[in-house]
Amino acid sequence: MALARTIIEPRNPMLNASRNRGLPHSPGVRVGNLLFLSGMVSADPLTGEHKQGSLISETTQILENMSHLLESAGSSLKSVLKTTVFVYDMLEFQNVNDVFQKFFPTNPPARTVCGAQLSFGFKVEIECIAAVETE
Amino acid sequence: MLSNVAVLDPVKPGLNFARVFGYPQSSAIEYEGLIFCSGMLAVDPDTGEREHGTVTTETHRIFKNLKILLEGNGSSLSRIVQVHALIYSRLEYDVLNRVYRQYLPNHPPARMVWQVTIESGFKVQLDVIAAAGQQEN
Repeated sequence: MALARTIIEPRNPMLNASRNRGLPHSPGVRVGNLLFLSGMVSADPLTGEHKQGSLISETTQILENMSHLLESAGSSLKSVLKTTVFVYDMLEFQNVNDVFQKFFPTNPPARTVCGAQLSFGFKVEIECIAAVETE
Repeated sequence: MLSNVAVLDPVKPGLNFARVFGYPQSSAIEYEGLIFCSGMLAVDPDTGEREHGTVTTETHRIFKNLKILLEGNGSSLSRIVQVHALIYSRLEYDVLNRVYRQYLPNHPPARMVWQVTIESGFKVQLDVIAAAGQQEN
């Protein structure tokens, strides 16, 4: 039997970056009870504008927006299974860890962090796979 | 956390990066028949000591560590579904493949190779998703 494939979107339309910018991807896709999220960069939830800043402020903003998107789709940060983090410079690795520690204090997801060049001068981009919290 | 999400045992103390490096991450998470592993590095599985080397030596060590982690949790290398292979230089692509073939000789998993900067000067990191359990025939 084929699993249903549905597009997930944030309740706050300002955070629907792919639609607002006309990009050829969705905020996320649900298949069965799994959610696959697109890579997220820091965006202002009030305006939807790019919000570049320090690595710590960008990471914090992304995880807040990720929390919103997951909650819009019946999940939450508690049910994130795996994350991939792209950082502009691995010298900032410890700062990534510090922010993750705040958002995932217990039973954190599996994770990979690597250094890569990002678009628009962003310092960090995060993608994740999460479980839907049914019932 | 959902009751059907399980944080898996790192199996060996050195594979518990949360403990040896203080990273806010789990070694592996199981959910609905899938095992999501954190990016694996070339570390000594008993002590967690980093074993920097060439792409060849690091890749061997990583596969041995993944074998310990997956088999210790009832899965195996042959059950890997998808791999994100991170290497420090695209020039070493064939070097990676040479070792890779030895561990995944038949019906290899889906894969993507990225050239990125890896933590603490490592040359390779493998991030895998595997199917839990063993193949039923």
